Amino acid sequence: MSLVSVQGLSVTFASDKGPVAAVRNVSFDLNPGEILGIVGESGSGKSVTCRALLGLLPRRATVGGRILYDGRDLAGAAAIQAVRGREISMIFQNPASHLDPLMTIGDHVAEPLRFHFGLSAAEARAEALKLLESVRIRDAAARMDAWPHQLSGGMKQRVLIASALACKPRLLLADEPTTALDVTVQAGILQLLRDLNRESGLTMALVSHDLGVIAEICDRVIVMRGGEVIEAGLVRDVVTNPQHEYTRLLIGAQPGRLPQMAEPQEAPAGLFELKDVAVHFPTRSGGMVRAVDGVNLSIHKGECFGIVGESGSGKSTVARTIVRLITPTGGRVMFEGKSVGDLAGADLTAYRRAVQMVFQSPFDSLNPRMTAQQTIAEPIWRHGLASKSAAMARALQLMDMVELPRSFATRRPRALSGGQCQRVGIARALALSPRLLIADEVTSALDVTVQAQILRLLTRLRKERDLTVIYISHDLTVVRKFCDRVAVFQGGRLVETGATADLFASPSTGYTRDLIAAAPDMDQAMAERA
Amino acid sequence: MNSITFIGRRLLQIVPVLIGISLVSFFLIMMIPGDPVRIVLGPRATEAAVAAMRQEWGLDRPIWAQYLSYVGNTLTGDLGQSLKFRVPVLDLVLQYLPRTMFLVAYVLVLSLPATILMAVIAARNEGRWPDQLIRVISILGMTIPVFWLGVLFARYFGVKLGWFPVSGYGEGFVDHLHHLFLPAVSTSLWLAPLLTRNLRAALIEQTEADYVAASRAKGLPEGYIFRRHILRNSVLPTLNLLGVMIAFLIGGSVVVEIVYAVPGLGALMVGSVLGRDYFVIQGLTLVYAIATVAITLAIDIFTAAIDPRTSE
Repeated sequence: MSLVSVQGLSVTFASDKGPVAAVRNVSFDLNPGEILGIVGESGSGKSVTCRALLGLLPRRATVGGRILYDGRDLAGAAAIQAVRGREISMIFQNPASHLDPLMTIGDHVAEPLRFHFGLSAAEARAEALKLLESVRIRDAAARMDAWPHQLSGGMKQRVLIASALACKPRLLLADEPTTALDVTVQAGILQLLRDLNRESGLTMALVSHDLGVIAEICDRVIVMRGGEVIEAGLVRDVVTNPQHEYTRLLIGAQPGRLPQMAEPQEAPAGLFELKDVAVHFPTRSGGMVRAVDGVNLSIHKGECFGIVGESGSGKSTVARTIVRLITPTGGRVMFEGKSVGDLAGADLTAYRRAVQMVFQSPFDSLNPRMTAQQTIAEPIWRHGLASKSAAMARALQLMDMVELPRSFATRRPRALSGGQCQRVGIARALALSPRLLIADEVTSALDVTVQAQILRLLTRLRKERDLTVIYISHDLTVVRKFCDRVAVFQGGRLVETGATADLFASPSTGYTRDLIAAAPDMDQAMAERA
Repeated sequence: MNSITFIGRRLLQIVPVLIGISLVSFFLIMMIPGDPVRIVLGPRATEAAVAAMRQEWGLDRPIWAQYLSYVGNTLTGDLGQSLKFRVPVLDLVLQYLPRTMFLVAYVLVLSLPATILMAVIAARNEGRWPDQLIRVISILGMTIPVFWLGVLFARYFGVKLGWFPVSGYGEGFVDHLHHLFLPAVSTSLWLAPLLTRNLRAALIEQTEADYVAASRAKGLPEGYIFRRHILRNSVLPTLNLLGVMIAFLIGGSVVVEIVYAVPGLGALMVGSVLGRDYFVIQGLTLVYAIATVAITLAIDIFTAAIDPRTSE
């Protein structure tokens, strides 16, 4: 018999514009001991489905249909409360915000033990220590009294897992548990979840936007879109033989399946030269953070240069140093033989035009009060390159260039999707006809299908406009497809650099090897499991 | 960093503030139009008498020397003499200060429980009638002027019903409570709503926090989640507002002290300003400034005790 049976689940949110259906007639079963993947893009209803199982939806949500747990109907607050923590537990996407900042990690884990099992404070503490050790927190005894902010993201997620598993639930719901983490950390958490499943028969539902992650650890998968289940089956069957058109689209948009967009140059000419660049920040306690240290790089004219690294590796600091948002504390950035740090007046203005940047968060990098057209036009007339009306006309041409329909010209960011906002950001950066475009994690906040479109767009623009692109990303699979040459950063230092194909084929450092191995890739995961 | 080094560092940060305060209060007296000696001796004193007094008071010495002796005197508790009462300023301050402190403490004892109760009820019933009712009461409380409420209370509860004395401070603890009841209530009636609105907003915000969903997923009871997680995370902003308000109350008790004839610091300040009792004004300025610094420090330490992130 299945552990959980969801029958005709529907969730509707009340809004100012009337009810909005987030989940429609969703049915699936969870068998004891399996890991079920729930995959879908933003707005597909995958998280809402997951939260509905534990009654964690906001008050304005109306839930219809039936959820049976072990044959019992989870209808009403009391029935749900009875299974929360003891039978079904949940972990979440952003571990930092899901831990109370004013509670030690030991107490976080001990808390449910005291309530559900009536343990004394000392007993719960002893048990909590065992749990923290079981999720492989190093030096757990010493960390019992640490506060959440003193732990890294991966450690926080482990604490969250320990506290969710404290009362030995039979089902764990995992809502994008590794999305906010670095790839090597993600690999560790996925390994932990897989081991928990194998060793103690923990049943799991893993919600993710990433088919690579799903393919690594799930047995079965359901594919959701627009609040409905459009396909379900064994992961292998779905990946190798998708039935639904959208599933095919989703699989085709996986970074590993993208066409090779890189085109290494025959005779490269230098454009940028970073010479022993260092950026150090003083800390409050009198120490020094070496955000970037001793970096030597050269970037060629017309190439796509990838910079990869995990959080804190200094990759964004390098980008900001190149655009001169940060002044390096050591070394020099050379642009066509001139030192960028020495530029002033008209030369500096010209440099700022030549080097443009596109940012990670598509919404936050646009002024919410300006329309798409105004946003794109602003740099043109601010730089005095055209009158305001001429700039507005030019903005429409730029919208054509980034494949944004002209009918969106008067829309503000709130009325645009993430991918559309990012197109506006790209058009704004292109408005000044730059020589170099720095794309800082421009697709990491987007769905994979949108990511594929944006990457195609950037490739086309590169060719048409003879652009040099610096593509900063944590996603090695994307970089492999998109960049001609790549530099790997770790802890503020350049670990290695080389032509993309060579570097991926034979990485010369252990760190790069780990990074490549940890990057989730759907096809590779399927091959390994076969 | 541990809490002792945090407190130590925080104390060190106060030193420059205190130097600033001493400079301001020193130069305050220099800004008074006219010669202080002339003011004391009157317009008909002889030049010789004025010169003698200048020398006696040290006003002929360079300004930095005067400042140094002012700081030295202040540190040894000598704030000068009151021109009106002919007693040391410090004695006056120490005589009046406890009354104001008693009043402030009284206000807090009345306001804080009411604040927490009202904010919790309002937040847990967001948008429903108890929330609306508390909102209306709060707006009334904040908009009615204290002096008007004071006069009204004094006439009705004091004169007509005769339940409470309408002036003075009384003798002994119970008598103080009795005498200061109306002033404390009238002050609480605007303080509590102010804090309530602040705390209610924080509570509602924290109720939506992710860690609340995580706690629910663990099956913890709602009441416990509210007390242990939501409330604790919500008090921090209100605590900071409270610090500002206490400092304001110490200096701002003037109105209520005058209306109810409570002989506190506010009443002393008004009397000194009207009577041009400069050294008392100077002494009180110093006391107010130091009180503000001390309260800010206390709130910071208190915040650090609740929130481990602040002491890093």
